[in-house]
Formats: sequence, C-alpha cells, structure tokens
Amino acid sequence: MKALVVDDSGVMRKVLMGILKTTGMEEVAQAADGLEAVKEASANPYDLILMDWNMPNMSGVEALQAIRGKGIKTPIIMVTTEAEKSRIIEAIKSGANNYVIKPFTAETVAEKVNAVLKQAAAAA
Amino acid sequence: MKVEYINPFIDSTYNLFSTMLKSEAKQTGVSVSRTVNDPGDVTAIIGLSGHIRGTVLLSFPTATALAMSSKLFNSESTGLDDLVLDAVAEMVNIIAGGAKAKLTSDGEEPVKLSLPTVVRGKDYTLGNPGQTKWLTVGFTSGLGPFRLWVTFETNSAKGGE
Repeated sequence: MKALVVDDSGVMRKVLMGILKTTGMEEVAQAADGLEAVKEASANPYDLILMDWNMPNMSGVEALQAIRGKGIKTPIIMVTTEAEKSRIIEAIKSGANNYVIKPFTAETVAEKVNAVLKQAAAAA
Repeated sequence: MKVEYINPFIDSTYNLFSTMLKSEAKQTGVSVSRTVNDPGDVTAIIGLSGHIRGTVLLSFPTATALAMSSKLFNSESTGLDDLVLDAVAEMVNIIAGGAKAKLTSDGEEPVKLSLPTVVRGKDYTLGNPGQTKWLTVGFTSGLGPFRLWVTFETNSAKGGE
C-alpha cells in the first residue's frame, strides 16, 4: 500500500506520515502543495491521499478537483483546519472521500484511513 | 473588539493541546493592550481576512517550543531548528482555523487565513494600524507557559469595535 501526504507544513507531513506507518501503509510519499500533488497523483498510482486545504500555488480543494478531473479515483481524505460546514460540503462535492479537521488525534486519522481503505477495497 | 470574541481562540487552544499535544492548557489571565510587548522567544503570526479582519500571534519561550515539538514528534528537540519553527507556525494555523469556524455563521463566507510567519527574538514591539486593541491570553500547560495575542475587527452585523 502506498500513500501520498500533501501539506505545506513539513511538521504536519511528518506527523501524518508517522500515523500512516501505524496503519500498515508500506510506502508514504509527500508533496508540499496542490500542484505537486496533482503531478504526483498523475504520475504514480497511490492507494490513498491525505490532502491539506490551505497551501501556496494550488489549494488542496483545487488539487482534489484537478485529480478527479483526470479520472483518478484514489481515495482522498482532506486533513485541514477548514472546519466550516460549507467547506466540508465543498470538499465532499469535489470528490473527497472523508474529512479530518485539525487538530486531530492519531486515533481519529487512523480510523478514517482504515474506513476509507475498507470502502475502496469493497468497491474494487 | 469585544472581549468575548477571544473565547473561540481560547477553546481552540485547549482543543489543540488536548488532542495533538496530549497536554492540558490552562488560561492564566486576559489583558488588553495597544501593542504587543515583550513577546516570547519564538512567535508565529497569522492573518485573518473576510468578514473578520485581524491578526493572531502565538508566542513561546524556547523551552516551551522545544517541549511542544518533542511531544509532537515523540523525539527530543534540542534547538530552535526549522522543524520546531514550522511546528510553532502550524500551531497558530490550527488555533486560528478552529476559532474562525466558530466565528462564521452558516451561509457566511468562511474567513480566510494567511500563511503563517514565524519570528525569532524578543526585541520588538508590534502595533496595529487604526484603533484596534490586542487581547492577550496567558496560558500554562504541561509543556510550559505561552501566550496568545488576538486583534480583529468584524465587518458583519455581529459588530466589532
């Protein structure tokens, strides 16, 4: 299993990569903004993407829309400080599979990752 | 700026500490000032724009910043390196993000956050154009003391200063 963590904060990438390792993810790559994320997701097959919202160059929701626009069905979980209901609805309508609001516990992220991977496996 | 507007920022700080830092933060006091004086050794700054316009600062003594970073990564941080500064920046981003959601009503355009900036050193005073004041909240925590400064004005009918 291979995941991509997208966040402009190196700290947050490090924290999320650590959590993903505990879920059994074998390989975790990283990207620092939406543009890098679209490039990575287009070039390499991933089983899961964790995506921040507020990033320079291209936001997470723009990257999400671009990835879905390319027909890429990789499960994407938004991990963001954007906690307003309208933002959550926008992300889900844009193709996000789940949503984690920062701050989070490691347990919350792991639960959502496992749930999304289970759904993806059932749909395959 | 009404004093009660500080509450979402205080709640957001408690939430950050109890979830990601596994530590309890306690408020020690609130004060009002025209400028930010005597900040900590490392300070993260983030801007708010939209129906609320303002600035949030989160400021730590070095020891608290290192303890926070060590807790976050589960490994000891010994100096104010890029990773520690990035951690401080992310903390102010999370606190402001949590608070802005509570300051936005359904149907209202969410407040936008700037990308955070981190300042090292204490020898400066930060002012704010116009007549807005800074609300300062002091905290203690299992990771050490720290302070939060907030100033903003509202453009909505909720009223500000």
